[in-house]
Amino acid sequence: MNFSRILRPSRVAHAHCDGPCGVYDPASARIAAEAVLSMEKKIAALGDAQDAATINTRTRFIVIKEQQAELAKHELNVLWHDYFKPEHLANFPDLHDTFWQAAKLCSKNKTEQDPANGEALLAVIEKIHKAFWASKNRDVAFYRAS
Amino acid sequence: MWPAPFFAATMLAAAAGAFAWSFARRISRYEVAGESMEPALASGDWLLVDRGAYSRRLPRPGHVVLACDPRAPDREIVKRVVHVDIHDAAWLEGDNPELSSDSRVFGTVPRRLLLGRVRWRYWPRPGIVR
Repeated sequence: MNFSRILRPSRVAHAHCDGPCGVYDPASARIAAEAVLSMEKKIAALGDAQDAATINTRTRFIVIKEQQAELAKHELNVLWHDYFKPEHLANFPDLHDTFWQAAKLCSKNKTEQDPANGEALLAVIEKIHKAFWASKNRDVAFYRAS
Repeated sequence: MWPAPFFAATMLAAAAGAFAWSFARRISRYEVAGESMEPALASGDWLLVDRGAYSRRLPRPGHVVLACDPRAPDREIVKRVVHVDIHDAAWLEGDNPELSSDSRVFGTVPRRLLLGRVRWRYWPRPGIVR
């Protein structure tokens, strides 16, 4: 018999975190928010025509805007609930208010279609991005895909 | 009848054996799974845990302990004691806080859930766990 099989422990002492171990990045919220803003711009560009084809296109834009705003809210909640810990409040005292504002902006992007709401959401996500990377002592520039 | 020195030596060996056996029974082998105790412990380390460490003594800050996860008592976790409160409950944290779910999530851990103290790593890099 192999010696290491005799010595191998049969019990496991867990040293885990709950999630898939620390892979967090505000980029996922940013990408969803950018999709929301893109849909708002497309809805505005589409105009008010009521022919079937335009209604179909507009509906698709609205559905995507709705889904991506919900996704942005989820991604923000993951950062808020899972990544950020009480000790982060020392360097980011308005953390809770910032995330609350961000969640409310996600909802506003669902109920309305003004691109200004998408810009406002991205501005809050940029603020969260800065706080997030500052908490890891890393300097990561905020950028947009579009 | 046995010669007296031989008898004494036999009794002494039996006593020493009983002592060693009772101590050995306190020791359990564990394998670490996860990164929350890095750099002290790495995932895959093989440990010797003294399960009798806290039967008469209290845990102290700095001890690396094996404990029941208060949220899932079948699950055994390894963390470090940060402090012990007046009710003998321990605040446990991973050495690698970003990759650790610990007392910051589940609060203090009562003494009865502390299963033992991690004393030695026997593979790889054998040595005392501090």
